[in-house]
Amino acid sequence: MNELKLEYLKLKKKTRSWLGPILVFWLIMLAFPLTVEFMQDKLEIGFFSVLWIAILISMMLATEDIFIEDYNDGSLEQTIIKNTSFQFLISIRIVVYWLMIGVPISILSFIFSLGTSEDLLLSISVIPLSIISSYIFLNLFALGSALSLNKGSLLGALITMPLALPVLIVLGKSIIAFQLGINYLEFILLLLGCLSIIIIAVPIIVSFIIKAHLE
Amino acid sequence: MDNITSVIAENISYKVNDNKLFHNLSFSLNTGESLHIKGPNGSGKSTLLRIILGITNPTKGLITINSTKDKCYLGHKNALKNYLSLDDNILLMEFDNHPCLKKYIEILDLKRYLDVNVANLSYGQQKKLGLLRLFLNSSDLIILDEPFVGLDKETQIILTDFLTDQLKENKTLIYTSHIECDIDSKTLLLK
Repeated sequence: MNELKLEYLKLKKKTRSWLGPILVFWLIMLAFPLTVEFMQDKLEIGFFSVLWIAILISMMLATEDIFIEDYNDGSLEQTIIKNTSFQFLISIRIVVYWLMIGVPISILSFIFSLGTSEDLLLSISVIPLSIISSYIFLNLFALGSALSLNKGSLLGALITMPLALPVLIVLGKSIIAFQLGINYLEFILLLLGCLSIIIIAVPIIVSFIIKAHLE
Repeated sequence: MDNITSVIAENISYKVNDNKLFHNLSFSLNTGESLHIKGPNGSGKSTLLRIILGITNPTKGLITINSTKDKCYLGHKNALKNYLSLDDNILLMEFDNHPCLKKYIEILDLKRYLDVNVANLSYGQQKKLGLLRLFLNSSDLIILDEPFVGLDKETQIILTDFLTDQLKENKTLIYTSHIECDIDSKTLLLK
């Protein structure tokens, strides 16, 4: 619990790191209607595609400096020599990023969805999808950030982007399934299944990658 | 208290690409003993410390440390957050409830800067803040990489006295320093 509090303190004080991705998401969603005709049905056609891509980009930005600062100031060395599990600390950090960035973006997703579709049930169905997908994307891009620790975050994002593509496909299919009234829950379960593997595997892999970088 | 073996290094070798930094290095330290690692720049002093800490793996050899406690380490980087105040950094170090915190804050003359962001402190003041990790440590093994660099004469004396006291408390000290200090130590010379 103390680790959670300390990670929260660090991220809270780095306003740019948590507010930046939320603002980028907000700007994309706000700009989207301006680029198409102001007809309700036309807006809905592309809205969900833009929504998932906006979440993907925001999570990519969120993880840009998730490890690099600790790497540069020597904090990672201090963490590694402690007897505390390094994987656990990585998990905690990703959870805090998700709570501070992923959850607000999921709430915004609901608001934008409701504003665009004017369909409450459809907008509610967006909440679990965006909550789960933002957590999956954060984990994947944290992996990318660790891989490219001292080589620039763009490289890491490019490496991990192919892993995020199947999630985007499932997200797209989930909304169609909800609109047609079929298999929506199965898609949620599929995403939860992916998440359960990712939240265990990613911290372990990231801890090995960071140790290799420090060596 | 009887002195027991705290650190054993057996035939430690390390090479970068094909360049041997050191070869078949062996030493052992008992509790209450100190080792001063000396050598010119690039001789592998910091690398050896990182091997002892377990951050870097040796090419060959084995390090045994007889302690289950966290190691206390101060390296070239102070592990401080520039965008946080001294108070917040102390919180991150988890020393906010340490009974000796106030004492060392006053000794190091940091009290009036507690609300100041670390980015606004001088290098020496940042180094002093980093020293809290050492002064408030509860470990058996202290590893320091050039601890005297950037410190004024007065703080260097405080640090030397503190380390001498720690040795009397049967802690083990391994350090590198180009600045001469009055600590009774074994010497390991790297070439």
